Amino acid sequence: MRFFNRVWTRTFSYIVLLAFTAFFMVPVIWLLFSPFKTDHQLISENPFALGTLENLGHAVRVMFTFEDYSLLNWLKNSAIYSFGGIFIALIFSIPAGYGLAHTQFIGRRTLLGITLFVMIMPATALVLPLFLEANSVHAVGTPLAVILPFSFFPFGVYLAYIFYSSSVPKDLLAAARIDGCNEWDVFRRIALPLARPIVALVTFFAFVANWNNFFLPFVMLPNSTNYPLPIGLQDLLSTTPAFNPGQGGQVGIYRPELAVATIVAMAPVMIVFLFAQRSLVSGLLAGSTKE
Amino acid sequence: MAPVSLEKLTKVYPNGFEAVHEFDLEVADGEFMILVGPSGCGKTTAMRMVAGLEEISSGVLRIDGVVMNDVSPRDRDIAMVFQNYALYPHMTVGENIGFALKMKHIPKDEIEKKVRETAEILGLTEWIDRKPAQLSGGQRQRVAMGRAIVREPKVFLMDEPLSNLDAKLRVQMRAEVARIQRRLGVATIYVTHDQVEAMTMGDRVAVMRSGVVLQCDKPQTIYDHPLNLFVAGFMGSPSMNLFEVHLGEGGRTLFLGTQKVELPATVLAAKPSLVKFANKDVVVGIRPESLMIAGTKTNDNAKDFVFFEGDVDLVEALGSEILVHFSTDAHRVEAEGVYSDDAEGLDAGLITQRGEGVARVPPETQLVIGERVRLQVNPKRLFFFDPATGLALSE
Repeated sequence: MRFFNRVWTRTFSYIVLLAFTAFFMVPVIWLLFSPFKTDHQLISENPFALGTLENLGHAVRVMFTFEDYSLLNWLKNSAIYSFGGIFIALIFSIPAGYGLAHTQFIGRRTLLGITLFVMIMPATALVLPLFLEANSVHAVGTPLAVILPFSFFPFGVYLAYIFYSSSVPKDLLAAARIDGCNEWDVFRRIALPLARPIVALVTFFAFVANWNNFFLPFVMLPNSTNYPLPIGLQDLLSTTPAFNPGQGGQVGIYRPELAVATIVAMAPVMIVFLFAQRSLVSGLLAGSTKE
Repeated sequence: MAPVSLEKLTKVYPNGFEAVHEFDLEVADGEFMILVGPSGCGKTTAMRMVAGLEEISSGVLRIDGVVMNDVSPRDRDIAMVFQNYALYPHMTVGENIGFALKMKHIPKDEIEKKVRETAEILGLTEWIDRKPAQLSGGQRQRVAMGRAIVREPKVFLMDEPLSNLDAKLRVQMRAEVARIQRRLGVATIYVTHDQVEAMTMGDRVAVMRSGVVLQCDKPQTIYDHPLNLFVAGFMGSPSMNLFEVHLGEGGRTLFLGTQKVELPATVLAAKPSLVKFANKDVVVGIRPESLMIAGTKTNDNAKDFVFFEGDVDLVEALGSEILVHFSTDAHRVEAEGVYSDDAEGLDAGLITQRGEGVARVPPETQLVIGERVRLQVNPKRLFFFDPATGLALSE
């Protein structure tokens, strides 16, 4: 009886897991197979039918050379905006979290409260005021209009605060002070090197958020040469005859080419995740165990 | 000139709590000074004020004659060993030890030489390239010591450095720390809640409670002549037996509960102030090792002794000795803090319960639980305290 119970439980959990895996993986697998087919095959044939390498070559060639290498330009833009934002976010959030965790000053709690409040606020809600702000300093249409809002990353401040208050004991900093450090040395030589897992964590979350952000660059950047990938993709979608028959095939972009562009947009997040994975786990677990 | 002098050092927190009250202390050159007391007594706060990690509310701190109240920690020329070691996790043992020298911009080869010497003294040579996470508790403790001694500072501050070690290692390191301190001859302030450390390591001991120093003297003097009930109860393990008794007419008899105990004339001669307590209550203190079981062969020539009886509740054989827990019907002593609920400094199991007592007797003594035994004590070894003030009765 117990044996059957166990088998049944096992089987049931496998079925549930398989169902979820299928739900999330089928679109990804379909996407990876798409560039190997022609637009026609994509609609008419079995979704998981294998195409040919030739088709892939064609789709990649068309997509990359499209409008004077627009895809590469968007990729470059995305990288500049994302990493520019991350860079500035790190410069501010790590010291800010450290300050909130380890110094006493008037308004510390208020500041922490505000950080939390802004963190839970949806980013899209801020786009309009940010646009007005950028507009008033004539930054709209320039990379700064995207990079500066990207670098505003309260979640990073909060992560750093949690890390410093839970995993860096005050005595460690006191020891450094007694060993001859001034406040800047304490931060630079002790607190900052210890923050490595949190730097990885902030980088990862900020990267995912920045890279996938659509609405903010969409509002801030009217000129297609400044587009990051998500906006470029949307632009492509709207000009593809398959989605927008009115456009009538003046551009050679069909669904396989779009699939190529989508994979290009997805890949960096996956690569960053693969590399950051180990630091992510240690960063997320920081402070949960006593040294 | 004393390396460290504290003059009416006081710490009041913003919420009004006074952690340290007018602390006066002079630590002489090379002296090993111990601050001991239950947790929350202000000993660590006092030390952190010396280190510069806590602001001084009032009073004057001098190191080598220079007022240090507003000098930052890095300019005080002190070294500190923390309870949790506070080693820099991202640095190797060598880098940890040499960090303070690096901050002083001492040339690299000189740092390396000093780090090597220090590691040698502490037996850390083979671990010098390891990170703290790869070391055992005892090794980490040594690294923390190394970080302090490599600097050759004017003062060592040690904040319960042994309390995170297991019992066996603690005993070993206790001797080692004391040995290193003697060898370097640097004035040291050592905070502990462990009265054994206080007794064995220090040249002098300051017993603190509630931010106030109750007594500051050589360990043996404190043990032999505690100034008040708290010090008497705190120093010594198992702690001193304290009974509230009623003194009879002229101070020649005392009533331990329902038992009448005759006091020899020598007691009154030695403590004339006892007469004032005739027909009143007084607290009697007896160290466990002063108590003997009457009639055992180790002490049959005991005619000047004082006797009373107690029921054996528990017998703890420790191999080298036996601890006999007994109860009498005497009143329990309720001086504040004497039997601290915070027993971290006392060996668990050895704490005397209120109104009960412990005797430390030779291992061959035959005892039966529940049996009534006759206990004897040399009257010279009796302590007397005023139950109202808690102060010891003067000679």
